Amino acid sequence: MKYHASFDGAEREFEFDRTAAGLVARSGDQAFQLDLSLVGDGSTFSLLVDGKSYDVVAAVDGGKVTLQLLGERFVVEVEDERERAAHAVAGNKAGGKRELKASMPGIVVDIKVAAGDQVVEGQPLVVLEAMKMQNPLCAESDGKVVRVACEQGAAVTAGTLLVELE
Amino acid sequence: MPLFRRLLVANRGEIALRVIRTAQELGIETVAIYSEPDRHALHVRRADYAVALGGEAARDSYLDADKVLAAAESLECDALHPGYGFLSENAGFARACAERGIAFVGPPAEAIKSMGDKVEARRIAAEAGVPLVPGLQEDIDAQRLAAAAAEIGYPVMLKAAAGGGGKGIRIVNDEAGLLPALELAQAEARSSFGDDRVYLEKFVTRPRHVEIQLMADQHGGVVYYGERECSVQRRHQKLVEESPCVALTPELRARMGEAACDLARAVDYVGAGTVEFLYSEGEFYFLEMNTRLQVEHPITEVRFDVDLVEEQLRVAAGEHVRPPQTPRGHAIEVRVNAEDPATFFPSLGEVTRLSNPGGAGVRLDSALHVGLEVTPHYDSMLAKLIVHAADRDHAIARCERALREFRIVGVATSMPVALHTLRSEEFRCGDYDTGILERIDRKTPVERHDLIMMAAAAARFLANERAGTAAGFEGKDRRQEPPRWAMLGRVERVGRMPR
Repeated sequence: MKYHASFDGAEREFEFDRTAAGLVARSGDQAFQLDLSLVGDGSTFSLLVDGKSYDVVAAVDGGKVTLQLLGERFVVEVEDERERAAHAVAGNKAGGKRELKASMPGIVVDIKVAAGDQVVEGQPLVVLEAMKMQNPLCAESDGKVVRVACEQGAAVTAGTLLVELE
Repeated sequence: MPLFRRLLVANRGEIALRVIRTAQELGIETVAIYSEPDRHALHVRRADYAVALGGEAARDSYLDADKVLAAAESLECDALHPGYGFLSENAGFARACAERGIAFVGPPAEAIKSMGDKVEARRIAAEAGVPLVPGLQEDIDAQRLAAAAAEIGYPVMLKAAAGGGGKGIRIVNDEAGLLPALELAQAEARSSFGDDRVYLEKFVTRPRHVEIQLMADQHGGVVYYGERECSVQRRHQKLVEESPCVALTPELRARMGEAACDLARAVDYVGAGTVEFLYSEGEFYFLEMNTRLQVEHPITEVRFDVDLVEEQLRVAAGEHVRPPQTPRGHAIEVRVNAEDPATFFPSLGEVTRLSNPGGAGVRLDSALHVGLEVTPHYDSMLAKLIVHAADRDHAIARCERALREFRIVGVATSMPVALHTLRSEEFRCGDYDTGILERIDRKTPVERHDLIMMAAAAARFLANERAGTAAGFEGKDRRQEPPRWAMLGRVERVGRMPR
């Protein structure tokens, strides 16, 4: 099974083989000798790449892998061959509708627009209060408000639909 | 005889633990208070007694003065430490403690009141001869605001009169942004402090945020413990602090220290206090005085070998201030906030795994524990990492090392941002200002890309392999539904996935 990883504009394909000598990762014409060992609960593993040691925490959520490595945090898209093929078929199905979703959990303290309003890129649509900070959520592009899907004072979770635009 | 018999710690999180630790070492019994979501919090578990306040939101629990006072009275506490935030700078609360015969570990109500009102504080500072930033403090309306801003020159700042801790501050770059910012600043001030008054101030170019830690007793004695540099800020929330400040000469340090002590004397201050200054090109201007212990107080503690909470308790019990020791070395603090390091949005969730940093010169003030639920009700700060070393270069290296060791799984944290800061040339050379975080290059070096992608691909490979094994054990009829590893083996033989 091949794994296609993309991060920060870079892409690379990896194939893993368990051999008698251990785990081998192949990418293009390169091969790496890996020692991949899970620690405890399965989110932490010790990775040795050609003898170089890395302490890695990885949360795998579908095709999204969130890594903690070298004190930093990286979100990497990883698709296996099957998912990649499925996505290629499903591509280009997006329509003209756009949605403003809550980027974090919080309380809707102000709604700046109403259905039918024309909005411009960067215009604040909703103000969300989280951890005592007021965070304006802005239109990502020009458009028209189809529907306001939230109410002032409502507590929302991350990903809650707030405003529908077209 | 201990300084007090029983101390109510009117706070939560790392600062509640911090106070409990010192009190226990001094033989003082401790009482924790807690809201509903904090039942399992460490401060509850570590204190000698714990009182449920009920409620979830801060205003229904830690900010509810009546509930907190009732808790203190029911357990017959003779002292109360407010920590920072919550009721720590509430003059009415300090007075209510005094009226009930409970020693408030902080300044008298009058001092809190005059320093807490930023407009009044500036007036007193001016009278005490402390330099000020130009601005407009009173009778703010849209028209006067626009006129004053035009006269001072943009950019200007709008700040909450009752503010503190960086909350309720807006920077305005031009006249068009002034009124929308006023609206937001007032709304933020109202929801955070229940007081929507704001004031205007000149935005000083390339400012550094430098503050003086002081301690005052009930007999007129005031001492100061050098300065802290807190210029690494995002939206006026400090992220990395260090001591000493590399920009100060001994002469400037002494002038700032004396100015801070003059201000404290002008309001008959008692207890720990911090006078914040803007420093720019050899000049310093009074910003505000925080009438409480600061979040970043530990970098002062490790350099001066002092326990500021102990000193607070001593002066609250009527003792005289003690002369500070000669400071040693360099200290850095990193605040670990639950937030996405890329977007800076709050990150909520449960801490599922924790690995703390250690080793020489490393101190961790933290309320983290496995199972901790990070909720939107309270501040996002989870822990503070403090390092101390002989010189600044070593302190930076030590801080980087400790940050790499510190692992929190379950919520995203601001630690990577601190790491980028420590690695940046601007921070390393020391010539930085409060805009440093916006300028830091936070791109991942290209040579790291391959390792990052391989580690992620390996994680998925491992997850798939494990899922396969699990299915093998759990599947009811393994002949009908072959375990995933068997399927993978088949794929290898056949060379493509079965449809």
